[in-house]
Amino acid sequence: MTAVELKNVNKQFPGMSYKALDNVSVTIEEGEFITILGSSGCGKTTLIKTINRLYEPDSGDIFLYGKNIRDTNPVELRRSIGYVIQQIGLFPHMTVRDNIATIPKLLKWDKAKTDEQVDRLLSLVQLDPAEFRNRYPSQLSGGQQQRIGLARALIADPKVMLLDEPFGAIDAINREKLQNELKKIHAESHKTYLFVTHDIREAFKLGTKIIIMNQGKILQYATAQEIICKPADRFVKELIQTTTDVSKDYVSGGEGI
Amino acid sequence: MKNRIRKAAKGIIILTLSISVLIGSALSTQAADKIRVASKDFTENEIVAEVYALALEDAGLAVERIFDVGSSVIHTSLISNEIDIYPEYTGTGLISILGLDPITDPQEVYDTVKDAYEEQFQVTWLDYSSANDGQGLVIRTAAAEEYGIVTISDLQKYATKLRFASQGEFDERADGIPALEALYGPFDWKSSKVYDNSLKYQVLASDEADVSPAYTTEGRLTEEQFTLLEDDKQVWPPYNLAPVVRDEVLEANPEIAEILNAVSAAFTTENITALNAQVDIEGEEFTDVARAFYEETVKSSK
Amino acid sequence: MFSYFAKHADMLLGAFAEHLLIVFETLFLSVILAAVISYFLLKSEKATNMVIQIFSAVYSIPSMALFAMLIPLLGLGNATAIPVLVAYNQYLLIRNIMSGMQQVDKSMLEAGTGMGMSHWQLVTRVQLPLAMPSIVAGIRLSIVSTTGIAVIAASINAGGLGKILLSGLRTMNVNKILWGTILSVIIALIADVGLRQLEKRIRR
Repeated sequence: MTAVELKNVNKQFPGMSYKALDNVSVTIEEGEFITILGSSGCGKTTLIKTINRLYEPDSGDIFLYGKNIRDTNPVELRRSIGYVIQQIGLFPHMTVRDNIATIPKLLKWDKAKTDEQVDRLLSLVQLDPAEFRNRYPSQLSGGQQQRIGLARALIADPKVMLLDEPFGAIDAINREKLQNELKKIHAESHKTYLFVTHDIREAFKLGTKIIIMNQGKILQYATAQEIICKPADRFVKELIQTTTDVSKDYVSGGEGI
Repeated sequence: MKNRIRKAAKGIIILTLSISVLIGSALSTQAADKIRVASKDFTENEIVAEVYALALEDAGLAVERIFDVGSSVIHTSLISNEIDIYPEYTGTGLISILGLDPITDPQEVYDTVKDAYEEQFQVTWLDYSSANDGQGLVIRTAAAEEYGIVTISDLQKYATKLRFASQGEFDERADGIPALEALYGPFDWKSSKVYDNSLKYQVLASDEADVSPAYTTEGRLTEEQFTLLEDDKQVWPPYNLAPVVRDEVLEANPEIAEILNAVSAAFTTENITALNAQVDIEGEEFTDVARAFYEETVKSSK
Repeated sequence: MFSYFAKHADMLLGAFAEHLLIVFETLFLSVILAAVISYFLLKSEKATNMVIQIFSAVYSIPSMALFAMLIPLLGLGNATAIPVLVAYNQYLLIRNIMSGMQQVDKSMLEAGTGMGMSHWQLVTRVQLPLAMPSIVAGIRLSIVSTTGIAVIAASINAGGLGKILLSGLRTMNVNKILWGTILSVIIALIADVGLRQLEKRIRR
């Protein structure tokens, strides 16, 4: 089943010499963990932000489970999509519990259900509910904060998750842990993840399929192995070659297939 | 659910409070059709206005007192129908309100302002009193004796040696420094600082300044340490005391004219100065002083 | 000094109550007006700067001049005094409200919007609570400013302690000056305590 589809989407920001999204078309199946890879300015963040309508495309259509998102109220749309950002953005004046309960409050869940789900999600992101429930963001480490950020996005059980370089501000050790945990969470759900990153290793490690972008265009959309064995063009080829370890892990049929 | 009820309740309480507050203030400014007697914010005007009020009440009229209105806004208040009567000075009307040039004859000043006010503002000047509270300059007697200053012309010659205590307004007012300099020549004070009108005698007494604007009937002028300078070139017109009344109110209550004219006739420059002294020097309340004056002088002469 | 109070208790307390009422009425109206204006300014930084400039110009007009201008329109007394006081407070309040709101981290706003908060929800659940310290500081400033200027309003026949203070200054009556001052300070303190209570309730 097609979860997300972009058809001929264009987006240009004023003052830029090239388009942020240049006639982009892509189909993403349900259950995939898609990592979107590219350097700054390639359009990867713009792409996912058109899906939850934080950006409106200049032209083209976007479909969520077959429905054109233009026909859905943006606020409602966003409540059904999980959104995690690099700067995390936890609300400092709220407890961990209240932060996670943000969308439930918007959807007006009752307290019992909310509390139950909050605890469930805290456990899911490997944080002891009793210990963390009533803490404030300022009392948490960066890694812990982003786990809360994840919990906050996952709680309403959205079918699609948009993650914009979520581990970019986390230290290397915690990043590795979080990547592994995220992969596990994804595998156990049937959700579709779109994960933006500029880190090739992260992209190849996590993604069931990878979208490589440059200057608003999708250069290649394929599995890790396909990209390494049959790079679509010189740019992709050079990209792979910048990290030789990457090829080693994947050519021999490692993770991600 | 409980949360919503609480929020709604709070909202209603706030709304009710604000509405009642607004209504309350609107109501409080209403009054029955009383005659609004006002005064400027200095002692003499308070006393005179209080006497006006007592006289009107004694004749059976309902009076509302709106005292201590700033001189800069009292005329506006009159013509905006916020007040009905207040004690004014012919010279002030001529120079400050109408912006005309000084005239030396008291009757001429009076006639001029009377006609102009009627035409421009529909306000009547009732009979003027002989009491003249004019503009003047007061100097510390010690300084006067040191330089041999008796008149304002003398003052002008020694201005560079003297400290001026201005009231702020005086520097700009048509009948202030500009008028003085036009007639007597420039006044290059050694220093010039602005003080509140109520502090000027304090300032002179404590030797912080030498010269200050004064009103010729101020109570403290009776003290030895202060000397009123002679206006030898007559820069200032007479400032005779008289009530100004809105025509509408006068037409509705024509007896006001007779009542207040009697009051005006009872005031003289001497007794006004004495009344001022009772409040400013002896510390009595202006309401008591006014009442005493009214009983003894005005009422008994009826 | 205390015998003066005993003798004139009802006059002093009457003026005190009047002044208190003026301050609270003014504060109440000022905050509501500032809140409404600020809500509309949230969308545009240019408009915000322009409006704050305008109110800062108003703030710099001497109170007597502003009173004089409004008497023909609104009359003497509280009817003019209160709108003038409210107008002065706008500069302090709007400036502080907007700076508080603008200082909120953009990442929080993005997270909130991305999660599906409406503009109103974003403002009330995220921006406003985080802007509170700045807003409360603005209200504190308004209290002080209002209590002070309300004294001057006595010369346009507004009620309150101004009458006592100005009369005391005119006649150099130490008792009046002292009590006028003490009672004004008490009002500022009461308002401050009231503000702290409100702060606590909001923190909940």
